[in-house]
Amino acid sequence: MSSNSTSLKALTEPQVADAPARHEKLGPSSLQVLGNYLLGMGIALVPLALLYNDYYWINILTFAYLMAGLASAWNIIGGFGGQFSLAHGVFFGIGAYFAAQMYLIYGISPWLAMPVGAIIVALIAVLISWPTFRLRGPFFAIATMAFNEVVAVFANYSESITGGARGLLIPFRASFSHMIFVERWKSTLLMFAFMAFVAAISVAIRHSRLGYYLLSVREDEDSARASGVNVVAVKLWGMAISAALTAMGGTLFAMFIRFLDPPTLFSLPEVGVKFALLSLIGGVGTIWGPLLGAALVIPLENFIRATLGGLPGVHLVILGILLMLAARFLKRGIVGALANLHWPQWKSRR
Amino acid sequence: MDNIVTIFIFGLLLGGIYGLVSIGLTLIFGVIRITNFAHGEILMIGMYGTYFVYVWLGLNPYAALIVVVPAMFIVGLLVQRLLIQPLLNEPMMQIFATFGLLIFLENLVLMLTNGAALGIPSEHGTRVISLLNNKVSVAQILAFAASTIIVISLHLFLNQTMMGKAIRAVTQDKRAAATMGINVNRIFLLTFGIGTAITGIGSVFLTPIYTLSPTIGGSFVLAAFAVVVLGGLGSVWGAYFAGLIIGLIESFAGFYIDPTLKSAVWFLIFIAVLIVRPSGLLGIAGAEEVGLREQQ
Repeated sequence: MSSNSTSLKALTEPQVADAPARHEKLGPSSLQVLGNYLLGMGIALVPLALLYNDYYWINILTFAYLMAGLASAWNIIGGFGGQFSLAHGVFFGIGAYFAAQMYLIYGISPWLAMPVGAIIVALIAVLISWPTFRLRGPFFAIATMAFNEVVAVFANYSESITGGARGLLIPFRASFSHMIFVERWKSTLLMFAFMAFVAAISVAIRHSRLGYYLLSVREDEDSARASGVNVVAVKLWGMAISAALTAMGGTLFAMFIRFLDPPTLFSLPEVGVKFALLSLIGGVGTIWGPLLGAALVIPLENFIRATLGGLPGVHLVILGILLMLAARFLKRGIVGALANLHWPQWKSRR
Repeated sequence: MDNIVTIFIFGLLLGGIYGLVSIGLTLIFGVIRITNFAHGEILMIGMYGTYFVYVWLGLNPYAALIVVVPAMFIVGLLVQRLLIQPLLNEPMMQIFATFGLLIFLENLVLMLTNGAALGIPSEHGTRVISLLNNKVSVAQILAFAASTIIVISLHLFLNQTMMGKAIRAVTQDKRAAATMGINVNRIFLLTFGIGTAITGIGSVFLTPIYTLSPTIGGSFVLAAFAVVVLGGLGSVWGAYFAGLIIGLIESFAGFYIDPTLKSAVWFLIFIAVLIVRPSGLLGIAGAEEVGLREQQ
């Protein structure tokens, strides 16, 4: 009724000149985007500047940066594209094993193995995703989860490639070219750089044609196709980029932890699904959500583990509760809640 | 030849277990299309429930059915009402919420039991009888029988009773069902409760067979989803036969390929079926889209 009357009004009333000739803004200008990005990264760097000497916190910070980068990488296909992949543990694991074995067998620097591994993983991701992208919603999630389990079983089985259940140990030989550092804060800085890199790519994609295509596929695949979006190609590109970045994270993880075994790399709650969970808690499909999610959850987990360490699994009990609450009450995550709280005019936007 | 008979028998018995684990999920995921990733953990708490009833009351473990099944029905009602109901139209949020439930239950049990492996003393789990020259565990035969009885009863329930018809009507078209005077939310609630209660029956029959650990649910959840999808969403008999097929595949692959790879073999078959024929073996083509279409 109301829309009817307004449209009537628009028809009958003369166009008034002082009605502002509004340019409907499609998004912030590139300068604003860059400014926001630099501001965000600057804030993210503060804890490192404050805590670089603190042995306890520096470890947590290292993981928080790494997980922030990984969650942000997942968010490209999972958040922007709406494809809830639970197979990202596969990409993470291959990135880790590839770099570790190149280093252990051929002595190749992880700096070189990282981009090569990322490209290989992007190709693998395309191969895996091509058939599975036929599936929608929960079926896609279940199929990708099954992929994670298959790869975990094979990783346990093929001892010559992964060291099997015994795992792979990377000796501590500190040097820049080995990506192994004596001073912890250098590793932390490296993880920060990774996060900043992923965030930059994420920002770039979000404001690019690919980003808008991904959003359109998420919102309504059939309508996107009808409007001429090549849905399969868009999903595959999103997945390839997301997987490549995840593999890079895997390489960094391998050289930081220096011990790899299948239960760690292919654990669903700690790796494959964690990326998605952090994104959800922070705000899935937003640029800052995954970063915020990691910034909150990783230190919180460690804090709980440290204070209630006597109870095994207590930090995960709390993570589980957080997740259920987030799914129930914070469907758009912390970022969404903040936006609703302070800037209700953002409600209509994503 | 003897080998093949042995592998076949063990495959069938394993299949019975997979069926037992999955029938509840057939109702929950297959019929009312709720993506419950915590299904394995629901099974796990049922098993712990059975164990504690057995320890505290000192009865035969199968007598725990009287306590565990109603308790699990109530657990199901609570999970559905508090967690799932508000997310009924959002399959993605269901994945997250039930994954949260998975992490919560698994680690809650880990916290409470301090990770100790528990098991019901051997006399219930290791009694064997001879079947075609093979020693077969009585507990596994009971599980197989239970699985068969549940499938028959559930099939009759869904097809012959008013309530069963209402459940199927709600799956096919919520709005049309509502206009026919069916209370849709109540049907969802009860169906989830019944699915969980059936999983509770399964957990009682599994407790004598397995050593309990908080992570035991993880080894069943994908199997359960695979069985439900392979059998065809919503097809009770489909799930039963898919369970047997997966049991046989695992048994044969374990013998002829490699024991460590046995689960990978049926994971791959599952992925292939999912991609080629998402409607499953006994499902109606396109059935996988029912319910989801409205939700999107």
